[in-house]
Amino acid sequence: MNPIHDDELVDLVGRALRTVDPVPEHVLDGAMAAWTWRTIDAELAQIVFDSAAELTGVRSEVMERQLTFQVGGIEIEVMVVDGSRLVGQLVPAMATTITQANEERTISTRSDHLGRFSFDELLPHPVRLTVHRPHDGRPPIHTVWMVF
Amino acid sequence: MEAQELLRRVVDGDQGAWDEVVRQFGGLVWSVARSFRLSSAATDDVVQTVWLRLAEHCGKIRQPERLASWLATTTRNEALRVIRGQSRLSPSAMEDDTVEPTASSIEDLVTDDDTLRAVLIAFAKLSPDDQALLRLLCAVPPLDYESIAEVLGRPIGSIGPTRARCLDRLRRLLPAGLNPKEELT
Repeated sequence: MNPIHDDELVDLVGRALRTVDPVPEHVLDGAMAAWTWRTIDAELAQIVFDSAAELTGVRSEVMERQLTFQVGGIEIEVMVVDGSRLVGQLVPAMATTITQANEERTISTRSDHLGRFSFDELLPHPVRLTVHRPHDGRPPIHTVWMVF
Repeated sequence: MEAQELLRRVVDGDQGAWDEVVRQFGGLVWSVARSFRLSSAATDDVVQTVWLRLAEHCGKIRQPERLASWLATTTRNEALRVIRGQSRLSPSAMEDDTVEPTASSIEDLVTDDDTLRAVLIAFAKLSPDDQALLRLLCAVPPLDYESIAEVLGRPIGSIGPTRARCLDRLRRLLPAGLNPKEELT
């Protein structure tokens, strides 16, 4: 009997896994639908801090997830409270409309003169925040899509 | 069609090109996400986040020929976020309801191919690390060792030797006399 060669074995495992664990149809459908959300020209705020990505350092009793997004000198700081609410702050402070969207729904709130804002609801994932800037005629800032 | 040309068409607004990107790379993103053993809901969230990220990012990818690698890295990063972030609040993000092949579930397998069945039974007996490596090695289109090393957080030089040892362990778990050439032709 000939032993199965490495490449042949990898090929077999691949075929076996694709048989028992194929990409589900709803996942492919979701991926195709994601195209409608492409934002070619918008300003995209990237994650510059994520408490979940910090493996070292002091982990306090407070387990709330904290994230900071940044683009063009503007920071959007958010914290997930009780796993179900979102509070945040714009730096520098800006009183404006902020929306939270997933692929089904969009909810909106206002930031105050100190840039503070909150959402009483955290929409099912993935979600993104949008900071609207109609007052200075600039395009809105989107955060990248997130699983909070 | 090359990834480069596909991405150019996507940026130009061609939904058909986007669908083709999903068809070509959907299995790869799935393989990487599944290697993290998240719950099926969390796996879906991670995969969908990756595609949304690509949709908003596709005009800015500087090396379109590295799309496979970009997708693998993004999937890894988002999976780790979910593991490190959510699991501290609720363990539900971790594997609970996944259809990870186990010895018992393979009995119900939808395959009458005895070779594939034997391979799956052997696969289920491997350690989680070996299973993760194999999932990455089998991704279609294939991932280079650099991307696999990044996903696993291991040095690139270790992938080849680890692959060989992992396949040896799998081979020892296979029934004697398994001859894929006979079964699969």
